[in-house]
Amino acid sequence: MLRERGQFDTTIEIVTPENIAFRYRVAGPFRRLPAYLIDLVIRSACFVLGAVLMTWLLGFAGLAMVGIGVTLVLWFLLSWFYGGLFEAYFNGQTPGKRMMQIRVLTIDGQPINGLQAVLRNVLRAVDMQPAVFYQVGLLAATANDRFQRLGDLACGTMVVLEERNWFRGVVRIDDPEAIRLAALIPANYLVGRKLGMALAAYAHRRDAFSWGRRLEIARHLGEPLRKTFSLPPNTNLDLLLCGLYHRTFITDRQDDAIPTGSPFMETLAQEEISA
Amino acid sequence: MKVSDLLESRRANWRELEDLCHRMEGRSRSKVPARMIGRFSALYRSTCADLALSDAYQLPPGMIHYLHQLVGRAHNQLYRARTFDTSTWYQELFVDVPRRLFTDNCLRLAFCIFWGVFLLSMGMAYTNPRFAEQTIGSNMLEKLEDDYSNTIGGNKINSGFGSAMAGFYILNNTSIGLKCFAFGLLFGIAGLYVTVFNAAVLGATFGHMATIPQRENFFHFVTAHGPFELTAIVLSAAAGMRLGFALVDTRGFSRTASLRRAAKEAMPTMCAAMLMFLLAAMIEGFLSPSAAPYWIKAAVSIISAGMLMFYFVILGYPREENAL
Repeated sequence: MLRERGQFDTTIEIVTPENIAFRYRVAGPFRRLPAYLIDLVIRSACFVLGAVLMTWLLGFAGLAMVGIGVTLVLWFLLSWFYGGLFEAYFNGQTPGKRMMQIRVLTIDGQPINGLQAVLRNVLRAVDMQPAVFYQVGLLAATANDRFQRLGDLACGTMVVLEERNWFRGVVRIDDPEAIRLAALIPANYLVGRKLGMALAAYAHRRDAFSWGRRLEIARHLGEPLRKTFSLPPNTNLDLLLCGLYHRTFITDRQDDAIPTGSPFMETLAQEEISA
Repeated sequence: MKVSDLLESRRANWRELEDLCHRMEGRSRSKVPARMIGRFSALYRSTCADLALSDAYQLPPGMIHYLHQLVGRAHNQLYRARTFDTSTWYQELFVDVPRRLFTDNCLRLAFCIFWGVFLLSMGMAYTNPRFAEQTIGSNMLEKLEDDYSNTIGGNKINSGFGSAMAGFYILNNTSIGLKCFAFGLLFGIAGLYVTVFNAAVLGATFGHMATIPQRENFFHFVTAHGPFELTAIVLSAAAGMRLGFALVDTRGFSRTASLRRAAKEAMPTMCAAMLMFLLAAMIEGFLSPSAAPYWIKAAVSIISAGMLMFYFVILGYPREENAL
């Protein structure tokens, strides 16, 4: 299955009803185990709290036996339906999943329904065999490319990561040497899509590298570029790449005309006025 | 247009969408004001368009990654999990499930295995006292004999005792049923094992209890809730086997697709079984240990057996429209 789909990491693509394809990362066992443990703690706390409250309140009313009965039913409901009910009513998340920023979706990326939520949690009884070590579930998860345990396979669901990423604009290049080098690049030089991607990837990460390491990485792309631009051999290749990045993403580009407005800009502006 | 200007112009929209996502994540669907939803969907569409054009805009990879996550997050708020669709429950439980079960080979198999092993074990235990001892274990036997040495409905009944027992039976018996169902997924083998095990132990208990002096009390206790409880066990075993056998005989689907199809059918069956467990627990908790005369308990037993027959045979009998 892996080879057919040509997938080599945990990223999967989903096509929405708006005909947009966007990507999710599938959550692996190291995200899901802490979420499960958090839920286990919450579940146990709920049970203890409920049991004490029930026996205490009903004990006062002289119905201690009814209190025991209610407590046992509470234990039953919590142990089998805690996950199912939370996932059905809280949009595919239990409190533990929410803390770990993961969510249950169907394999098409659509929200799950109540039956799927309950069934995948009832089938947890098999996945956690032997005892509570989850080896059956782990084995099943390693055998497919979406980390689905048996319960997920039976309901057609998967668990995805829902990270919150901060908006990072373009990197500001302040080095005057880089700006100077940018001016030396011939005006008719076009930066293609792939080169642009490589430049952006480099510029966003170069702060994490030491001086020597930067030069080592920049050499592979910088050396051919230096020759193309016929710059002197002592040019700083790290700053050359920064200069090219600066010219491509920050100063004006003459090569292509990008429409200035988003297709929905007008409607958005109108709504803002009417709102 | 410069990429940096483009990002700057969109930045406010994306920020606002992030903010709306954050506010919607904390609320239930009904509490989100209409204006917010309208604004949210407009922003979502615009961000989708930005993502679609991100390649043409030549956005840096970090920004594309950010947009993927933002659209994914907003998508999950726009299309929220559907909860339980209660409008179809009646149709599912009282029309579809019995008809499906009437022609279900897994149920027939589970029924034959359970009752076959049960009767066999009962016969063995009745004729040979050592069989029960080997099957159930002598400790358990002594405990059973001890439990039923008092007359049913005797002195140990106090107020609310029944509800504690009912609670225990809901917890214990329904858990056994759900486990029986879940373990069926392992190619039906684990489900078969659980079924055979339960049938053998129960059969040996019945056979043994019939030979000893406490039999009056024992049958006094088990008669009323027997039909619901035993049927519910067979039903959950059958639902589990449906899952397990779907992995073996795929009927031309891939194994996971076949499993998904079977799971969709098995879950309502399991709901019916859970309902029966609940009824059985109520009877077992309140009526069975009470001092009610035997004929009442027998009547309840006959009525519940009749209800089950009605459910499986009359509601389940294949109709004309099924053939279409």
